[in-house]
This record gives sequence, C-alpha cells and structure tokens, in this order.
Amino acid sequence: MNFTSDSWIALLPILVTSVTVVATMLAIAIRRNHKWNATICVAGLNLALLSCLLALNVAPQQVTGLLVIDKFALFYDVIVLGAALATATLSFNYMEGYAGEKEELYVLLALTALGGLVLVSATNFVTFFIGMEITAVSMYGMIGYPHRDRRALEASIKYMILSAIAGAFILFGMALIYAQTGTLSFNQLADGLVSGTFAASGLLVTGGALIIVGVGFEVSLVPFHLWAPDVYEGAPAPIGGYLATASKAAMFAVLLRYFVESRAYESALLLDILSVMAVLSIVVGNVLALLQQNLKRMLAYSAIAHFGYALVAFVATGAFAVEAVGFYLASYVVTTLGAFGVIAIISTPIKASDADTLYDYRGQFWRRPYLAAILTAMLMSLAGAPMTALFIGKLYVFAASIDQRLWILVGAVTFGSAAGLFYYSRAAIVMFQRRRWVEPFKAPRNWTFQAGGMAVITLTFLMLLMGLYPQPVMELIKAAGLHAPQAGNLALNVLAH
Amino acid sequence: MELIFYICSGVAIIATLLAIIGTNPMHSLLELITSLLAVGLIFFTLGAPFAGILEIIVYAGAIMVLFVFVVMMLNLGRATIEQERQWLKPSAWIAPALLTLVLLGELMQLLATQPDDHAVAGGAIVGAKAVGVMLYGPYLLAVELGSMLLLAGLVAAFHLGRSLD
Repeated sequence: MNFTSDSWIALLPILVTSVTVVATMLAIAIRRNHKWNATICVAGLNLALLSCLLALNVAPQQVTGLLVIDKFALFYDVIVLGAALATATLSFNYMEGYAGEKEELYVLLALTALGGLVLVSATNFVTFFIGMEITAVSMYGMIGYPHRDRRALEASIKYMILSAIAGAFILFGMALIYAQTGTLSFNQLADGLVSGTFAASGLLVTGGALIIVGVGFEVSLVPFHLWAPDVYEGAPAPIGGYLATASKAAMFAVLLRYFVESRAYESALLLDILSVMAVLSIVVGNVLALLQQNLKRMLAYSAIAHFGYALVAFVATGAFAVEAVGFYLASYVVTTLGAFGVIAIISTPIKASDADTLYDYRGQFWRRPYLAAILTAMLMSLAGAPMTALFIGKLYVFAASIDQRLWILVGAVTFGSAAGLFYYSRAAIVMFQRRRWVEPFKAPRNWTFQAGGMAVITLTFLMLLMGLYPQPVMELIKAAGLHAPQAGNLALNVLAH
Repeated sequence: MELIFYICSGVAIIATLLAIIGTNPMHSLLELITSLLAVGLIFFTLGAPFAGILEIIVYAGAIMVLFVFVVMMLNLGRATIEQERQWLKPSAWIAPALLTLVLLGELMQLLATQPDDHAVAGGAIVGAKAVGVMLYGPYLLAVELGSMLLLAGLVAAFHLGRSLD
C-alpha cells in the first residue's frame, strides 16, 4: 500500500467531507448556534464539491484496492454532494422552528454524504458494505430527527429494521460469493467472471441473488418496496428528499458499475430477473400512486416507478447503460429534490406534521404563485412532459427498449407514463383551485430570499436546462463512462442530435 | 477437527433456534450467548483464534452488558428477588447449560492438542499479528471508514436517545 500525492488528490472529496463531519461536530461542541454550525457544514460540502474538480485531473486512480476514483465515481460524487447541499440549505429554514437541538442534523447529513461517496467509488465488498452502512445509520438519525413526533420515530424504526435486513441479505450474499471465489475485490471477481475462471456455480448465483434482493430493498424496487411510503411520509420533508434521491442513486450507481464492468448484461437470467422487477415496479408503483391523497406517499410510489424506468434503461442498453441510466438518474435527482424542496418550504417552519395531503395544496397558486409554478414544473417533469429533464430521460428509456424490441418493457413504460400523467396532473391542478378558508400551511412571504428557496430555484433552472439543452449534461455523462467492453450498436447516438 | 466443527455448528444452530422461539427475553439472551460461544469455537477450529476471541469478547461481552442494564433497571427490591428466583428455574438454564457443556468439552479437547497448521480446517493458523497487518495495511481505509460508521451511530443514538424534556 503506497499513497502517492495523486491518490491523496483523488481522495480529496472523501477527505474533505470527513473533515467537514469532524469540524461540524467540534463547532457544535464549542458553541451551539444553528446558523454558524450549518454554515460550516455547507462550506465544507461546497469545498468537497470543488475538490471533485481537482480529483478529476488525476482520475482514474485506484486507491489501495478498496476505492477507485474514476470519472464515473466523480459524476455520482457531484450528484451526492449536490443533493446533500440542497438538503442542508432546505433543512436550515425548515429546522428553524424546531424546539430541540437542531445542529446534529448537519453532522449526520455530512456523514450520509460521506457514505454515498464511499459507495460510488467502492471496488471491494468491504467498502461497498461500509459505505452502505454509513449512509443507512446516519439516515436513521435523520429520519427520526424530530423524535417527539411519533410518525418520524416510527418511520425511523421501520427504515432501521428493513435496512438492517437488507444489510444482512447483502452480507450473506457476499459471504457466499467469497466462499466460492476467495476474493472480495470487484475487479478480480469481474475478471474471473469474464474470463470464465469462476464458473457460475450454485453458490455464486445464490450470492448474487441475495445481493440483488438487498439492493432491491435499498432502492425500493417491487417486491421489496413496502417500507418506502411510510418512511417518506414520516420523515421530515427535506430528509425525505435526500432519501428519495442521493442515497438511492448512489446504490444504483454501484449496481450499474458492476453490471457493466463484469459484463453481467450478457447473462440472460439476470436480465430476466431485472426485467421482471422493472415491470413490477412500474406497474405497482404507478397503480398505488394513483390511489394516494398524500403528496409524500405519492412521491414515494412514483420513486418506485421511476427506479423501474431506470432499470428498464439498464436492461435495454447493456454496455451503454452508463449513459442512459446516468442521464435518467441525474434528471430524476434534480426533479425530485425540487419537488421535496417545495414541500419543505411550504411546511416551513417545522410543525406537528408536514404539508403532505393534497388538500393542503389547494389554492397554493393564488397565495405563492412562483412556488406553485415550480412544484407544477417538477410534477410535470416527473410525468415526463416535453421541455423538462425527465422527458429526455424517458426518451432514452423508450428509444433503448424499442431498439432492443423489448415490447413488454415498452408496454410497461407506456402504461406507467399514462398513469403518471394522470396523478401528477391531479396534484398540480389542486394548487390552482379556489383557496381554502383556513390555510394551515403558508410558505414564508420572503421564501425566495431564504437559502432553501434559492436551492429550489437553482434546481428548477437546472431541470429546465437539462430539458431544453441537454447536450452539455449528455457530453458530461459520456465522458464519465466506464471502460466497458465495446459491443453492439444503439439508437442512442440518434438521440444526441 | 472436523467433528468438532460439526458439533459446534449443531450447537450454534440449536441455540439460535431456541433464542428465536423463546418468549422470555432473558432466556433468549442466555441462548444467544451460547450460540455466540459456539461461533467463537468455530473460528478456533478454522484456525482464526483471534477472531474467535473477538467474537466472545465483543458479542458475549455486549450481552453481559445488556444483562447488567436489565438488572439495573429492574432493581426494585423484593420484587426483583422474586423475579430472579423465577429466572433461576431449571427450565430456563438447563438447555443453554447443556449446550455450553458440549462446547466446554470441545474446548478442553482443543486445548489438549498441539496447535498445528494442518489440523485446522482453514489450512493455516491466522494469529493476531496477521490480522493487524492486514487491517493497517491494505484495509487501512476500511478501518478509518469504520470509525466514521461508529461516529454516525454515536451521533444518531445520542440525538434519538436524548430525553424528551
């Protein structure tokens, strides 16, 4: 093991985030002050984001066989850190009204971002598992943060138990794979699988299946989705946004990396399993979302469906999955963070419960027109309306699955989009109806000048930019590709024009 | 050596089953300790005495701490004595005692034989030094990240466990 200066530079995002964790904690110990503690955390996360640029110069860089910092990892680093920054700014205004200690939230937030960074650069089962656990353990604390609120506490316990079970599944899968191959390194595993050194034995297949079950829990794909709506409903709105985006995207990135590098997309069995999960996620997620009267629960089910779409992109594009899935995840993260951001702003400051029923949104347009317009734009993006980010994302999904003649998947995506258009529009239309006599939830009048408001406005611009002029982001993702074995051709190049 | 391994595994499985189906938490804790001792002994037979010792110190030790907590919380005088008398019925301790007796016999057998690289199921004895070299060599980053994981647990537990007033 030898650290060169290049490996230190490559590790900078992770190091800076770790320093942020410790610095925020020490700052709390020195003096409890919401503003100054939060500022330290946000400054640290910003520095970590900037250090990604430095790390880009030396990428790809293998650090001690546990982590690899390549362009792919850095792309997801930016997503994770960006989501953490947006969450920190949203929580700042949201937590102002919280009666207890507000400051630990920022320590936990920086920690969960650290877990995400480790996860996306993991190249060994050890770092994979530790990254996942850092994310999960700090998430328990954040979901249950307002622990006087029974719903938040219940959500935290549910998430803890299910994520512990998922962790146990993954750990057992790792043990089986290690028993068969004798290696924990993803690279050696991938090489062995590609070259045929490790024959597909029962142990290996069972281990892989257990890991897929665990990952399915973490990104809440049907049939492992049962926890998602309750947890999203109980969690404070900004935290729910982070849970729905960054922590899932990081997990998905790991899946993507090893799906491509070990050429797992050549295994018909795996593709069948993933296709079934994708179709189930899309159908079940959308049908259950149709029945919801609660915006947070609706977003939870829609998140299930959206990861189903991402999985379709995954299955259909094979070696090109990095590009299609990368764009889809990036636009999904921006859009969903924006939607949860508006919920957080309308629920600000924290009350007994967030503004989560659709009835709470009645007439919001007549009170805060711009905020309602932003939520409408985000909902339309989730529905896949033209000019929005997820329209381009869905175009990728459709083009790839039609190109591969995966008609069942095409049918599921079509059905999902149609159902989605209905329930997203319903949520949007409520805001334009007549105002309620009593309005328990009012966004602060000066929300545009608050940190959270600025974060939401930035996300909106980003979302529209990705919808109207996706070229730069596409180029970025293409540059962040993995060194996948080249094979096949795809209509995706057509899309780029 | 293989025979010992299989007996240990059997003990571990039975004890774990008893821990799961037990309705009294104290009984389940006793069974759980037995199961962990059996797993510790399995590590011995595999040639990893350091991991075996850690298993016993960390897990069985942690459960002893849980016991202390329960005793502390329930320490209410006469009622407690009644309670403990109830706990000390043979039906509570006979099963774990028998299982640990098997383990003790095996441990004696192991201690009587000379350590030998070829005898252990893992092929070689991995001592504490080898573990340390790995942890502070190729797995250094994992150790550091592990400390961050503990920090996350600590901060979360500290916040959630704070009293409500």
